[in-house]
Amino acid sequence: MSRVAVIGVGQTKFVRSYPGSIREMVFEAFKEAMGDAQMTVKDIDATIVCSAPEYDKQRSPSGVLAEYLGLNPQPTFYAESLCSSSTTGLRLAYSLVKAGLHETVMIIGFQKMSEISAAESQERMGRGTDIQWEAPFGTMMPAYYAMFARGHMTKYGTTADDLAQVRIKSSTYGVFNDKAMLRKQLSADIFKDPASPMSGILASPLRVGDCCANADGASCIIVAGEKKAKASAKKPVWILGLGSATASVNMAGRELFYSLPAATEAANQAYKMAGVSPKDIDVAEVHDCFTIAEVLAYESLGFAKPGEGPALIRSKETYKEGRIPVNVDGGLLAKGHPVGATGGSQIRTVVLQLRGEAGDMQVKDPALGLVHNVGGVGLYANVSILGRQ
Amino acid sequence: MSKQIIFHPGALDEKDGKFVQMGNKCRDCGKTSYPAVELCPFCSSENKEKVPLSTVGTLFSFSVTRVPVGPYKPPIIGGYIDLPEGTRVFGQIHANVEDVKTGMKVKVETGIIWTEKDGTEVLGYYYVPCEAERGGAK
Ligand SMILES: [Zn+2]
Repeated sequence: MSRVAVIGVGQTKFVRSYPGSIREMVFEAFKEAMGDAQMTVKDIDATIVCSAPEYDKQRSPSGVLAEYLGLNPQPTFYAESLCSSSTTGLRLAYSLVKAGLHETVMIIGFQKMSEISAAESQERMGRGTDIQWEAPFGTMMPAYYAMFARGHMTKYGTTADDLAQVRIKSSTYGVFNDKAMLRKQLSADIFKDPASPMSGILASPLRVGDCCANADGASCIIVAGEKKAKASAKKPVWILGLGSATASVNMAGRELFYSLPAATEAANQAYKMAGVSPKDIDVAEVHDCFTIAEVLAYESLGFAKPGEGPALIRSKETYKEGRIPVNVDGGLLAKGHPVGATGGSQIRTVVLQLRGEAGDMQVKDPALGLVHNVGGVGLYANVSILGRQ
Repeated sequence: MSKQIIFHPGALDEKDGKFVQMGNKCRDCGKTSYPAVELCPFCSSENKEKVPLSTVGTLFSFSVTRVPVGPYKPPIIGGYIDLPEGTRVFGQIHANVEDVKTGMKVKVETGIIWTEKDGTEVLGYYYVPCEAERGGAK
């Protein structure tokens, strides 16, 4: 069977507020990916545009962007699964190439969240939950993840200080990532100092410092079939395993509040398809929209047994030199989270790692990388395994 | 009197001048579900009846939000309540933050949960701590 590879990656710097329009913002990521793949618009056979539409002023952005990028008359499609939109795009692109419909497909992820206030975006993000039965009571994303943090604390004895360790690690690597929004090393003191803005409770037990920040940004990933990839790319990165799963929107339908079953299911599918196990993974990007989410990811992905996620971060095994480096680009916590662009940014990081081009963030000689991207509170989950061979 | 609507049609029924929170009881498998849906979520049967839900439940998990969300001012206590019939319901807990504990007994109350800009009052439900004699925290 013919394989599919990632042959070009690009992203904008993630920023609090991008000064231009979505067209100009997406163009920056597009230009970087096209330069990386050394391609022209004629090489792109189709585009998949990914965002979470509740933040978009532009309706049906795929047509507008395809025109602006000079990608007419090729087809363009729009894909959405909240924060996991652009890895959903990766799965769809893979299918289009495997089906033989298109040889080279571009996945564009973007979000310009600064056009609405932080309070409004929290409320809109809350609408990504169940708008009939939960959102009327004043829900927002941090409150849901807070209940998972409480669940994990109750069941396993996880502490607020364990969660702080995740944030400290992400800040360590955010310093090295010139695309990240927050590039300052943080210490545990900021959580202990009541005067620090990071220590304030947002949704108990989560503090401001446990949460990632909204950002503006775009990502662009180019994938191609084996023949094209081998002919055009110096270092193609192969898509070896893809897993995708869902869970109930209404949290009342979830039995457990200390794990995300959709992420576990997606991980199992991806490992099976790639024929590898968690211990084979050399570098991973996980969806750390909240510190607790990274701990849950360790456990969903099999990097730690259920309940042992906190010990993994405590022993620094997820640092660059550890057994399984996780989010050594700073993750969402340091990079910022432009919802639709996030999955593409995670893929870009793992591709650069596998090519040995990650600069100061480079892990020693990785062969297999993994991307864990979650939409909503474990409503959608995509796990992708990429490899050098 | 200003106009009143229910936050979601069918969520509450009016009985003897009071609003009662309604779920579905399946006539085939006997399980109760909330919110009311077309098919029983446990056995896919269409053979169901609308029943009032238990008014006292146990707080399964909660979080206190310290920023305003929509019409609500902080602190907003949101949580999941497990009812004796095996159904889990989401709602706000109206209580002092320091009194709220996982596992405490709460009872449902119905009333206005917010007022629209045009003055329309939106009816819904929320939970309050139960008295000790009913197994509550205080
Ligand atoms: Zn039934």
